[in-house]
Amino acid sequence: MTVFHFFNCAILTFGPHAVYYSATPLSEYDTLGTSVKAALVYLGTALVKLVCLATFLNVSENDGFDPYQELLKALIGFIDVAGLYFALTQLTHRNISQNHKFQAVGLGWAFADSVLHRLAPLWVGARGLEFTWDYILQGLEANANLVLSISLAALGSLMWLRKNKPKTLIPIIYACAGIVATMPSITSYLRRGLGWHFPKVVGFELFTSLVMAFISWQLFSACQRPSA
Amino acid sequence: MEASKKSGGHREMLESMYSVIALVFILVACVELCDAATAVDVYRLIQYDMSGSPFGSRFAALNHHAASLHFPPGADLSRTVLIIPLRELNITFIRDYINQKKPLGGLLFLLPEVFSFENGGNKQIHEKEKMKNLLAQLEQLLINANIPYPVYFAFENDEIDTVLAAIKRNDLIGQPATATTGGYKLVISTPEPKKVASPTITNIQGWLSGLKADGEANQLPTIAIVASYDTFGAAPALSVGSDSNGSGVVALLEVARLFSLLYSNPKTRGRYNLLFGLTSGGPYNYNGTQKWLRSFDQRLHESIDYAICLNSIGSWDNELWIHVSKPPENAYIKQIFYGFSNVAEELDLKVGMKHKKINISNPRVAWEHEQFSRLRVTAATLSEFSVAPELLEGTGGLFDNRQFVNETAIIRGVKLVAESLARHIYGHQGKNVQIFADDSSLAVNPAYVQSWLDLLSRTPRVAPFLSKNDPFVMALKKELADHTDEVKMQHEILEGIFTFYDSTSARLNIYQVASVTFDLLLLLVLGSYLIVLFSFLVITTRGLDDLISLFRRPPSRKVKTA
Repeated sequence: MTVFHFFNCAILTFGPHAVYYSATPLSEYDTLGTSVKAALVYLGTALVKLVCLATFLNVSENDGFDPYQELLKALIGFIDVAGLYFALTQLTHRNISQNHKFQAVGLGWAFADSVLHRLAPLWVGARGLEFTWDYILQGLEANANLVLSISLAALGSLMWLRKNKPKTLIPIIYACAGIVATMPSITSYLRRGLGWHFPKVVGFELFTSLVMAFISWQLFSACQRPSA
Repeated sequence: MEASKKSGGHREMLESMYSVIALVFILVACVELCDAATAVDVYRLIQYDMSGSPFGSRFAALNHHAASLHFPPGADLSRTVLIIPLRELNITFIRDYINQKKPLGGLLFLLPEVFSFENGGNKQIHEKEKMKNLLAQLEQLLINANIPYPVYFAFENDEIDTVLAAIKRNDLIGQPATATTGGYKLVISTPEPKKVASPTITNIQGWLSGLKADGEANQLPTIAIVASYDTFGAAPALSVGSDSNGSGVVALLEVARLFSLLYSNPKTRGRYNLLFGLTSGGPYNYNGTQKWLRSFDQRLHESIDYAICLNSIGSWDNELWIHVSKPPENAYIKQIFYGFSNVAEELDLKVGMKHKKINISNPRVAWEHEQFSRLRVTAATLSEFSVAPELLEGTGGLFDNRQFVNETAIIRGVKLVAESLARHIYGHQGKNVQIFADDSSLAVNPAYVQSWLDLLSRTPRVAPFLSKNDPFVMALKKELADHTDEVKMQHEILEGIFTFYDSTSARLNIYQVASVTFDLLLLLVLGSYLIVLFSFLVITTRGLDDLISLFRRPPSRKVKTA
């Protein structure tokens, strides 16, 4: 609904990324390059996922929840994790501490995800005359996605970059990582299988993202203690 | 080998790029098209000039907020469109608004779905008469006024009903829709209406020759049966004129069919020629009929015994009227009238005669037979109306659709006309002979009548918007050609005092819009959210001191040097 509304929704969708970058020490240590590289890795991952989905998935006519198809989608979703692994471990980063590395990678990852998935609908839809709540909800979803990406990056860096972890915490780390990685399948199940409406799904996403962020923060600080 | 493969690969890549670009364009265009929540077909009020004076609605494009009749009193409606369903219409209110030239953004009248000729075919209408009168009054008011804003008609459906209910709720809580308070916006984007250049009227005539005895030199006498087929109404895209004059056209076609059966056999061919005429330009003082008659040569003129014009014979109960311009004492008129009334008695219906003198200096032609009478040809009009309609009245308006026509009435009318003509042609006047008896092979075919009536009730037929080769005109021509020996079409330009403007129907988009204040509030909320987020992140990652230091001014040089 008009350019003003588009501007508002754009701020909601992309603002937090910019705020995150400038508020945290990321801006001081000039980690923009890392974020950009992470965004490019996301792009590559998305293309690979697209090809796999196109090859292996068959499109069903009705909008119901098909367990087999969802399982396939979840498996393909693990390509995401592989991409994140590549971004965290294989890319050469300048000397930035692990603490900031995962944040920069998570930020770049989330930003690329928002741009790819939400910019086009926003540009095309939010400028029209008709008003819907969809774009505001989409912006909130982008916020939740940012938090989830950073938590996933944190858990990923714990799993692959930190060598000495307390033995008891390892299964918890892997479990949390699994949950965050399969988040897309969970939301799709909620929307299609249980028939939840968009606002409810977005609320659920926000809640779980905050919970997972808190858990991964605790895990991260717990693992930090021995090496500190 | 490898080079060609490479160039082939390049070409493929280019092609796939082109297809991607095309896809993007299509996507963008698609979204533009299906942007609105609701899109409805609407039909515009007619716009015409009569002798230079403008009438009707003078604008077509619309882009205003919507309001219902429950708008708060004293509200400024100059940029608002009033949506009025027919049930809530108050004629005096509209009349005041138009006569006092109060400013208004536009009018949208919602007609009950049963009036739609696409969907509401078989539903019953409650309070038929009341609606008919209301629509007739509204139509006359709108046609004769000069309205400086768009006026549209639409049919009620579920979507529009929900929108209207929401608008009423908003209005009742005293919140009319403007740019700052949200609501619904009606948008019709059509180009400005242009004059219809050289509107054509097409007359179709069919000639059925009588049996000429060998060696007979003189021309056989001719009987003409005429009906005008075009209409005029407040919404030209909805003017189907089932009764005026769809019933006349259907009756003419059925009579033609019956007589073509009789005339196909030389033994039963009468000694009269039959001339069937489907004329256009009826609402405009029977302009088409005049031009048609002027095109006759003198011999044909003199050979016409008499002409019967059919006008609105679709919704009568027991009485029909024969209107004449020659005095009733005239021998020919008496003959025609007795012929009709004898048959009428047998068919258990009544026929009355009305005489209206014609005034040559007055351009107003109320009945079609008057055009014949002006050229001294005996003629009469058979109609259910006892009084002549005014100019542009009774010519197929909004209420004149399939619901209000009764095919039994038309069938009885056909029997009346056919029997009377046959008795005159075959010399059986006064004798009780049923040529078109109900179970014979010459019976009136109800299915034929019904199917043509249904077709006419789905075809709007306002003459300036019917092109020369309009499929409906071609269909009439073909049908007449099936029943007659020779068919001729005459194309003329509709001259005279009328000028018409196009743009008769459009697509209305209804958008639910949020107000500017909503977006301002949203901006405030988002701004504070981002500021809170920023502060939260600074505090958790760098510490509270950093946040405070962002706002404190750097220590001045004086302090440093000191």
